[in-house]
Amino acid sequence: MAVATRDWNALARRSRYIRQFQNAVLISFLTVISIPVVLPFFWVLTISFSARTGGVESAVLWRACGVLVPAVIAYVVAHLTLKSVRRRLFAAAALTLLAMIALTVTVGNDLHLNNYRFLVNPNLVEDLRGAATAGGQFPWVWEAFFNSLAVAASSTLFKVSIATCCGYYISRYNFLGRSAYLQSLLILEVFHPWMLTIPIFLVIFWIGLLNTLAGPILVLTVIDLPFFIFIMKGFFDAVPWDVEMSAMTDGASRRQAFWHVVLPQVRSGIIAISVLGFIRGWEEYVFVTALRTGNSYWVMSTYLYYVADDVMGVDYGLVAAVSVFYMMPSLLLYMFLQRYLTQLTLGGIKG
Amino acid sequence: MAQIELRSVSKHWGPTVAVDGMNLALENGEFVAILGPSGCGKSTTLFLLAGIYAPTSGDICFDGARINDVEPRDRNVGIVFQSYALYPNMTVLKNLLFPLRFTSVKSEEALRQAKAIAELVQIEELLERHPSQLSGGQQQRVALARALIKKPNLLLLDEPLSNLDATLRLTMRGEIKRIQRELRVTTILVTHDQVEATTMADRIICMNAGRVEQIGTPENLYRKPDRTFVATFVGSPPINLIDGHVRNGSFAVGQKRIPLSGSCRDADVTLGLRPELISVAETGLPSEITNIEPMGREILYTAQSEIGLFRFLEATPQPRMALEDRVRLHANPEDALFFEQETGSRIEGLSLAAFS
Amino acid sequence: MMQTQTRRQVVNAFIFLGPASAFLLVLLVAPIIVDLVVAFTDMSQTVRIDEYTTDQFRKIIRPNEEALLGFELRGSFYRALAKTAIFVFFTLAIFNVTFGLLLALTTTALPDWLGGTFRAIWLLPRMSPSVVYALLWIWVIDPTERGLVNQVLTNVFGSEPVNLFLQHPMAVIVVANGFIGASIGMLILTSAIRSIPQHLFFAARADGAGPLSIARHIIMPALRWPLSYITVFQSLALMVSFEYIFLIMGPARSTMTMAMLAYTKTLAPQIGSGQYAYGAAITLILIVIGVVVALLLYRLTNMKRLLAKPRIEVH
Repeated sequence: MAVATRDWNALARRSRYIRQFQNAVLISFLTVISIPVVLPFFWVLTISFSARTGGVESAVLWRACGVLVPAVIAYVVAHLTLKSVRRRLFAAAALTLLAMIALTVTVGNDLHLNNYRFLVNPNLVEDLRGAATAGGQFPWVWEAFFNSLAVAASSTLFKVSIATCCGYYISRYNFLGRSAYLQSLLILEVFHPWMLTIPIFLVIFWIGLLNTLAGPILVLTVIDLPFFIFIMKGFFDAVPWDVEMSAMTDGASRRQAFWHVVLPQVRSGIIAISVLGFIRGWEEYVFVTALRTGNSYWVMSTYLYYVADDVMGVDYGLVAAVSVFYMMPSLLLYMFLQRYLTQLTLGGIKG
Repeated sequence: MAQIELRSVSKHWGPTVAVDGMNLALENGEFVAILGPSGCGKSTTLFLLAGIYAPTSGDICFDGARINDVEPRDRNVGIVFQSYALYPNMTVLKNLLFPLRFTSVKSEEALRQAKAIAELVQIEELLERHPSQLSGGQQQRVALARALIKKPNLLLLDEPLSNLDATLRLTMRGEIKRIQRELRVTTILVTHDQVEATTMADRIICMNAGRVEQIGTPENLYRKPDRTFVATFVGSPPINLIDGHVRNGSFAVGQKRIPLSGSCRDADVTLGLRPELISVAETGLPSEITNIEPMGREILYTAQSEIGLFRFLEATPQPRMALEDRVRLHANPEDALFFEQETGSRIEGLSLAAFS
Repeated sequence: MMQTQTRRQVVNAFIFLGPASAFLLVLLVAPIIVDLVVAFTDMSQTVRIDEYTTDQFRKIIRPNEEALLGFELRGSFYRALAKTAIFVFFTLAIFNVTFGLLLALTTTALPDWLGGTFRAIWLLPRMSPSVVYALLWIWVIDPTERGLVNQVLTNVFGSEPVNLFLQHPMAVIVVANGFIGASIGMLILTSAIRSIPQHLFFAARADGAGPLSIARHIIMPALRWPLSYITVFQSLALMVSFEYIFLIMGPARSTMTMAMLAYTKTLAPQIGSGQYAYGAAITLILIVIGVVVALLLYRLTNMKRLLAKPRIEVH
């Protein structure tokens, strides 16, 4: 063996330098490309809390950024240099406090909740524009909210239970035509309802569900359904066979084994597709508008669309506030359940 | 080759402590085994040495220089993983050449070295295959060759034999030992199998729950275990342990008193006696056979004595005794070991005066 | 005994597969067939079929000068085809693949809390409702000085406000769709990187590989499959998606892709003119492309694993 004496101290210095350099490059790259993504969202948030009728107040945005950007940078530096959890928490608390104080000083006077009055005022748009607005009979926002909730929740319930049952069956049962069934599912995965908007409209019309909430609910159930079935199949494939076999030798029927033993093991898969399904249903716009003629029902997406259309240029604050209100449920759901989403893989079709 | 040293190295994962204040110094060309149950921190120690994990506190030193911050690639260590970690998209030859890609070795020279190392581990005819086309033993050899090709300061083996079947394990044990002797590379083997550790290593580091329990030669660990844990972990079948007390110069269990040789203040102690050192004789501790387990070449008996259960071995193909036979157990009284119950440490110089 | 087995089999199939099959038949398979029929009719304005004709395809392949809305239809399909190709190619190449890959590589190279934070930021567009996201874009590129882009341009760079709606409409929809596409690529590739055994990274580092060599020799070979999946699948998704284009640009000619064309000719609120048969004909072309994609996907799929036989035989 070659006896190469090395200058370990020089190597250690070089390693430290390279590591810091790498992290700095990565963090700055990601920060720079993330700014265009996050800034507009922050802008809308500040508008909704600060704009007064007639204009967009962007001074608030830049002043708030002037406070928050240094605070965030300070925290990242603190996190990377401080090693103990307690010190990190302390740094976070101190920086939050400082930022709050700075924000109160710089933008505190401009903040108000007036733009959120639409939550309590049923006749808001008529107040603003008079009765003859383009949207026609504008509902109270809560009507749209609960319609959206109904659409998102019921389509998610359908989609998830159907995908779970089907995923289980194609994963665990041998039946006549199984391989043909799987292959046609694979092909159907390609046909997104978006490309079939027109024929789906015709089918819903012939069934007689046009202008009812049932139309979008049914279509939303089918959106991504083959994909969800494959995701669930992947989760069921991963459940060990022994568990099901032992449940059956313990006297359970297969249906009981499914319900009591197998289903609890794919819980995280069910949560993941529920989150995806709900967010999809909550945001739906295309089929909600395509499957109604006139204003037979209102959901959040159409509500926001017409609010924006109607009062745009007059009251940015109101539009921003409705946007923030509309975004909240999806974002909250995503924030609390995102760890389930990271477990999704490509649903067992991977090569 | 570097002088390798750990100075009170600790590694924490949040609140859990994987390695706790470990001290260790390796001599050049030495073959050391780290032995311990799963989750005792032995693989973590290995990854700390390789530079894959950074220690929470303490220093890792090569040639006396602190290298905590040196990247793995600059440390010149070779690792063989339990899963072998062969690059699935590369052929065996490319796998072997991979470490040389990052050195100044010219490509013809690299090829020559790869051929030479392949010959050493006997995989010359597999060079064009992909890892998925190899058997476990072959993958093992490739992994070993890849770890050795850049002539490392230190060879680290992380449970290298645990994925092999019993016969192959025996072969590879000898092979690794042979290759290590030929190259005289300092080697650390991590294992939970005491047979692997005792047969291959010059020295054994016995670890439990992140701490070093004892460092010594295999014989040392077997004959003079410092702690109860080492006594139970080294040796198969495991050592007989019997809890009792030291009372006025004798070992007391229940009503039974056995005189001690050596002095000790009164304390709660554990008696340890290896099954191999017990036999059946005319005189000795009266017992009754309660279990007979034929193990092929020898037979493992369990006997109930006044002070507790003893297991012992007899090298006969057919059982000489039957269940419920009354026998007398014999052992050299000086072979008996005593451990303090409170600390688990062996009490130096204390043994039995008689075994009856 | 045999009979109860068979009966249970039928009942199980009905319970577990029935709903899925019914939904997929009525709302995916039936529409495909309906489209096949309607594309060869004259259905327009009202949902009634008077005669079967190949007029729609003639309208598509050559400019129809006699059509009532002839000036609108003239050459519109070819233009849409070109726009679609440009839109799909640039969005896919720049964002779904390149940005998705960059994001996945960089965020997985950082400590998990930091990488996770950046991934969460990039998922923001995907998780926020489409109408909100489109509205953000309309405000950001507002041609007056209020728009965020113009605020930055005028205040930081001192240049004149730009009107991106008119000057670079295609760039706008490429970037707007791209932010979302990048996050999808990022998710798929991140999970693929995560599923590489950790020991391979450890081995490569001990063998002397730096971050770039690890990316090239360890990560990239493992991403070959996910990258081809993203390319095949996302190109179709982009081809048929029109939601963001419609919401941001409206029925502007400059960004009229095929899917947009079909939508604006039929169902778009307020402007859709109900030319169902014409829309159906364009849809049929999209369906044909879909079939091609399906065949590609078919080749990418590991059929042996997909069709692996279940191990319990009773029902």
